[in-house]
Amino acid sequence: MRARRLREVDWVLIGATILIAAFGVVALISARHGSADAASFLRARALHLSLGALALVALAATDYRQFAGAWQVVYAGTLVLLASVFVLGDTRMGAQRWIALGAFGGFQPSEVAKLALVITLARHLEGVKSLPRLRSLFPFALHIALPAVLIVRQPDLGTALVLLAVLAAVLYVAGARAQDLAGVAAAAAVAAPFLWRMLHDYQRRRLTAFLDPGADPLGAGYALIQSKIAVGSGQIFGKGLFAGTQSMLRFIPEQHTDFVFTVVGEELGLVGATLLLGLYLVWLWRALRIAEGARDRLGALVATGIAAMVAFHVVVNVGMTVGLMPVTGIPLPLVSHGGTAILTTLAGTGMLLSIHLRRRPGS
Amino acid sequence: MNMDTAPWSPRVARLGLIILLVFALIEGRLWSLQAIDGGRYLELSEQNRLRDYKVPAPRGVIYDRGGHPMVTNRPAFTVSVLPMEVSDPQRLASGLASILGVERDELLARLEAGRVRPFEPVALRRDVPKSVVMTIEERRLDLPGVIVQAEPVREYLLGSLGTHALGHLGEITEEELRAKPQYRAGDLIGKSGVERTHDTHLRGENGRLRVEVDAAGRPVRVLSRKSSRPGNSLVLNLDATLQGVAEKGLRGRTGAVVVMDPRSGEVLALASAPTFDPGLFSGGISPANWRQLTADRRLPLLNRSVESTYEPGSVFKVVTGLAALGEGVTQRDSRFECTGSLRLGRWVFRDLVVHGTVNFIKGTAVSCNVMFWQLGRALGEDRLEHYARALGLGRVTGIDLPGEAAGLVPSAAWKQRVWKEPWYPGDTLNMSIGQGFVLTTPVQIARMVGAVATGGKLVRPHLARRVLSPDGTEVMVFGRETEDAPLTLTPAARHAMREGMRAVVEGGTGAAAAVPGMAIAGKTGSAENPRGIPHAWFAGYAPIESPALVVVVFIEHGRRGGEVAAPIARALFEAARPLLAPQPAGLVRP
Repeated sequence: MRARRLREVDWVLIGATILIAAFGVVALISARHGSADAASFLRARALHLSLGALALVALAATDYRQFAGAWQVVYAGTLVLLASVFVLGDTRMGAQRWIALGAFGGFQPSEVAKLALVITLARHLEGVKSLPRLRSLFPFALHIALPAVLIVRQPDLGTALVLLAVLAAVLYVAGARAQDLAGVAAAAAVAAPFLWRMLHDYQRRRLTAFLDPGADPLGAGYALIQSKIAVGSGQIFGKGLFAGTQSMLRFIPEQHTDFVFTVVGEELGLVGATLLLGLYLVWLWRALRIAEGARDRLGALVATGIAAMVAFHVVVNVGMTVGLMPVTGIPLPLVSHGGTAILTTLAGTGMLLSIHLRRRPGS
Repeated sequence: MNMDTAPWSPRVARLGLIILLVFALIEGRLWSLQAIDGGRYLELSEQNRLRDYKVPAPRGVIYDRGGHPMVTNRPAFTVSVLPMEVSDPQRLASGLASILGVERDELLARLEAGRVRPFEPVALRRDVPKSVVMTIEERRLDLPGVIVQAEPVREYLLGSLGTHALGHLGEITEEELRAKPQYRAGDLIGKSGVERTHDTHLRGENGRLRVEVDAAGRPVRVLSRKSSRPGNSLVLNLDATLQGVAEKGLRGRTGAVVVMDPRSGEVLALASAPTFDPGLFSGGISPANWRQLTADRRLPLLNRSVESTYEPGSVFKVVTGLAALGEGVTQRDSRFECTGSLRLGRWVFRDLVVHGTVNFIKGTAVSCNVMFWQLGRALGEDRLEHYARALGLGRVTGIDLPGEAAGLVPSAAWKQRVWKEPWYPGDTLNMSIGQGFVLTTPVQIARMVGAVATGGKLVRPHLARRVLSPDGTEVMVFGRETEDAPLTLTPAARHAMREGMRAVVEGGTGAAAAVPGMAIAGKTGSAENPRGIPHAWFAGYAPIESPALVVVVFIEHGRRGGEVAAPIARALFEAARPLLAPQPAGLVRP
């Protein structure tokens, strides 16, 4: 029985996850190369990956339907957790997103919230068999909007946007009409100027810098210019592992977090960058296959939500690095430094495996 | 329901397609950045990390003719800034102004000017004290882009001695840079004196230091190093002792001294007063010092020996005398009646003294205007002009100093062109005693007297004697350059002129220049000028039989040449006595 279950595991998804995580370790070593705290960063990464692996195994072994038990309680708990940041949270780099956890460093509720909200939203939608009108989308929009506003206030615009992407993907797979989703998008566009006013100056500058980084080359545009230089200068085959001058000489601020993709682009070139993107595609392909083959609507929606979350992270993070998108500061899954994000991604992978293990026969 | 396809499957598949399309877009962007524009970005990443610093070459040492160093270098620190690493020039300038003691606005102007070449360090202040270097190192993190470089600066061992001959340095200007593409912005370049004329010999070749820097501009490692090549040394013809005597003579006055070997054109002393301390320029002159120097109405920056022109006064009588003797208008013993004035039509030209009957020798010795008026009138302006030009007046001597003035030898055509007036006979009379329109520089007078002394050869005065490579081998020798003056003077005429000039010193107007035991010929001058008290001149040579030394002393508003200029000349003749030991070509060799 046990051997059969092991054979049922989606080894391709696990393989892609391990390879992406390996890329992350190499990129971290390169980004922190020669710095005094390189060893402590590596130790932290090892801890995050180990905890994440435990979570992955535990969640894969658990029936995903159990997570969705009391979704209202989970939802309320998530809101409380997000709100607690304003009371308990540490302020780091101008944002109040973390709750200190002693030796474990910090804990970022918004990361966990993403996964929790994927589940509660899927559970919320599970019983709704059709979404015939624009109006029928409203409760679900509200479902996401409440935590999103809390997250924007931290401020963490990037994570709030992830929730919107998850909402759109999940609603679509749940049966929402494309034109209704387009209507919501249009409404969001109309609301954008009001949201814009809620943003901090630095956020506005970051959001617009990608349109013309040269306008403020030493301020908001600096990281963008340098990251494009790093990625571009890698050319086809890269400068060689640990030989990236942009990385080694610290031309890219906070490179181990939001701009970690520049290490891959610079040192491994187009080949390495394409390989990493390819691994994400494999991961997403498996996640969507799991959504397709899910036993029930809940499993399909949870898998879709997780896939949308990871896809959005990858697209926005890499898009930002190469100057296609504004700098919103969201991590590259399993590669960027950040314990909660790694934990969340691995936990999400565990859920995917759980859904896969309990899929429809024959799929 | 088909077990293989759930109702959500097509929608999931479409979502997958959307994700695939977005990934394709990103891949396309990567392709464009890395495969198409990769070369350009690689270049940008190299620019990010590579800094080429100039390693300034020490300038060549300048020696006097005896091999004594006059100008050397000493190590110093220069504070520079890399414009590209300065994000907030205002803040940096404010921070540095108090440290460097330079005005904030000036620092800002320098930073702004340097932005044209953002990777080239812009020197903000040269020759800073060690305490400044330490302060900068302590506050390095607040001063992005600021670097401290070791750079040799000029040291003037003899203080202000020889300033105008040696010259001073300054940072190359945009204009100079356009004319001299082999120089780089921020280079120091000779601005005056031999520092300027022989800059190409002295400057050497800067080295380069290629350094890898991190994002904060901190040097990480040296990638390559090209040593600088020190400049060649320059041995001058100047004699430091004689130069000292010349400058002592000028102290407290405004004027110039030229001492030259008439056979070779070697300039043994060249002074101009007032002078200034060239060391003020070593570390880049401060605006306050510059203002003070340029606002000084006595114009200390002006090299009066070559750059200014003056009425030669009676010194010009050498030209008139030679012309008269050469053209047969007078002989040694021709007699002239001096009643203290000369009538020309309805004009009367008056002298201060009635000399009675004089011959050419006596008339020269006492500088009798009436005699020279008569000679001038007999010669006419054309012949005066011809002789003046033949003796090198009215054009540059070609001395190896910048800014030499040509002076002026007037002619009827010139007067018509410039003044729109005809030439009057009175002009000829004025010209014959060096008044009116004639303008000369002290160095022209030295060359002219040299030509008289040596029998008609015009030499090119020169300060540079030899160029030596840093290891001491001779690279170049500056020899004698002469041109034949188009004068054919009979020995009798030359002797008569010489005798007249000897009489000037031996009991004539130039008696104060006499040195016991030395045969000296000379001519004094008190040049009336429209700007006040007459200028005082003495121009002479020695020894008469084998001339080896020409001495010209000029004192602005000195009134009487015999009283003010001649004693200075005497001190110079005395001081030069050791140099007068008979030597066939040139004087003492270092």
